Amino acid sequence: MRMGAFREKRIDTDVLCVGGGIAGLMAAIRAAECHARVLIVEKGNVLYSGSGGLGNDHFMCYMPEVHGNDIELQVMEFQRGQQGGIRDRSFIRRWLERSFDIVKLWDSWGIPMKYEGKYEFAGHALPGELLTHLHYAGKNQKKVLTEQALKKGAQIINRTMCHNLLYDEEGVCGAIAINTKEDELLEIRCGSVVLGTGSVMRLYPASTPGWMFNTRLSPTCVGDGRAMAYRSGVELASMEIPLIRCGPKYFSRAGKATWAGVLRDPAGKPVGPFVDRPDNKYGDPVVDVYQDIFIDYKKSGKGPVYMDCGGLSDEELQYMLHWLRNEGNESFLDSLEADRIDIRKNPIEFWTYENELFPRGGIYYNEDGKTSVEGIYAAGDEFFGGISGAAVFGWIAGEGAAGYSKTRGGGESKRPTTQFEENASLFTSLRNRENGATWKEANILLQQIMGDYAGLIRSETLLNAGLAALLRLKEKAHETLAARNPHELMRCLEVLNMIDIGEIIFQAARERKETRGKHIRVDYPFTNPLLDKLLVVKKTEGGPAFQWRSLKR
Amino acid sequence: MPPVILPEECKRCGQCVEVCPSDVFFGSLKGGIPEVTYPDECWHCNACVDACPHKGAIRLRIPLPLMVIYKG
Repeated sequence: MRMGAFREKRIDTDVLCVGGGIAGLMAAIRAAECHARVLIVEKGNVLYSGSGGLGNDHFMCYMPEVHGNDIELQVMEFQRGQQGGIRDRSFIRRWLERSFDIVKLWDSWGIPMKYEGKYEFAGHALPGELLTHLHYAGKNQKKVLTEQALKKGAQIINRTMCHNLLYDEEGVCGAIAINTKEDELLEIRCGSVVLGTGSVMRLYPASTPGWMFNTRLSPTCVGDGRAMAYRSGVELASMEIPLIRCGPKYFSRAGKATWAGVLRDPAGKPVGPFVDRPDNKYGDPVVDVYQDIFIDYKKSGKGPVYMDCGGLSDEELQYMLHWLRNEGNESFLDSLEADRIDIRKNPIEFWTYENELFPRGGIYYNEDGKTSVEGIYAAGDEFFGGISGAAVFGWIAGEGAAGYSKTRGGGESKRPTTQFEENASLFTSLRNRENGATWKEANILLQQIMGDYAGLIRSETLLNAGLAALLRLKEKAHETLAARNPHELMRCLEVLNMIDIGEIIFQAARERKETRGKHIRVDYPFTNPLLDKLLVVKKTEGGPAFQWRSLKR
Repeated sequence: MPPVILPEECKRCGQCVEVCPSDVFFGSLKGGIPEVTYPDECWHCNACVDACPHKGAIRLRIPLPLMVIYKG
């Protein structure tokens, strides 16, 4: 073992933000405002990283003058939906209460939250329903938030991946990270941590075989936060329930809500009951409520289904394109242009990204951004929440983390030597191994196992067989993975994180002996009303400990 | 493969190398024309194109598996 392979560096701070997406940047800005020393550690570059890296155009927001003064009605409404259904009432209320303040803040910083001088709500609702998503021009959001974070004094280190949190007798005291640009090992010491590493994208097969970075959201968001939190004893919830989404075929890209066209069958008949002409306000909301429609059309011999923007006026088309570009769809639209595809004349096929599953749940942070472990906060897609959730809870978590860090010694305690050496020795063995397996081999096998044994068909026997295969992969990965350089080391660590997440999914899926949403247990086809609860899991010495928890509705 | 750089247009400023979320240009040398070391890790997000101060020096080539399917 060549321990000399890494240069080591120690950095002290009060609040460590792991991930520089919307949640991490908002947490950093707020924590710095609260007079904490703040460090953002980002795997990519904060200017473009994360699922909001190239922009967004919908921000869930409660505005009393638009939605009425009775917030409870909105809370109830929201809790009925897919996002709100797995959160306590107090969480939803806090989110709604704080959303408009964040909108005003963003607008004052230079992210255009208004369209032609006024707030405009559109998308993600059925015709006639109250619109709760604010249309905003988020293309520059990462640049603006980065500027704010730097202005408030936060320190940013790009190209750096945190792998594990470190502990002393008082609790969390830092993290161990690798800087892939400098090829350095970082020992970060802090008083509190905000995890904001986004969703989990490369765990299940991509929609295009052999092209695993063709994912709906950023393929570098792979659940690092969930994995390090779990290894630190933080509770995760709802990991067993997968979600699927739909969008354009074959270029995977999130963001259906901005498309204004009508979804039609090959004969031109609308497939949903809501619209029969393009509508910039609602789009075709059939996919908001019926993600399987494309699969069902294919199976019944009536497919495929097309997004038909024929009938949009020039002005309406420009309006739609404006939002699509702000949502980070530049490269998609440019590719249509390059291929001379005219979206008004050439309906584009949409489909369900049915292989591309991702867990609905994650780190169960509460309305204060707190996880179940003192000093560890989380925000954004560490559970769910989209941009608005990331912004609001990032802000709240940053404030909490700043407060908590003041109760700690400020990162001056002794190095937790054993934990540090264990991590360093893992990194060194990955780097020094010759003729080993590549991270890609391990990632592909992981995707196969997840798709085949914990996909949309699940049963006790399948899950048992799949878990056994996954554990064999885990062992092989630890024994044989090899990284030729720091970039590949980062990819190897990502795969090890995803393997841990896969293991939790198998275990939790075995535990939920019923069918719920896309957690389809063919051996338990019934949705049991008594299990309309959160399945919470925590790592203990004896293995995962599960707990069923009721939701406060 | 995904990002395509025109060597005669590129000013070698390294902005694309700096910002790429997937670090597909890993290992590119400072002051040189960036190399696409890990093309299949590209998300086609456009960060490199957006960050390039010299329009036209870098563009994305969308690989065939991502071909958009359309009618007509």
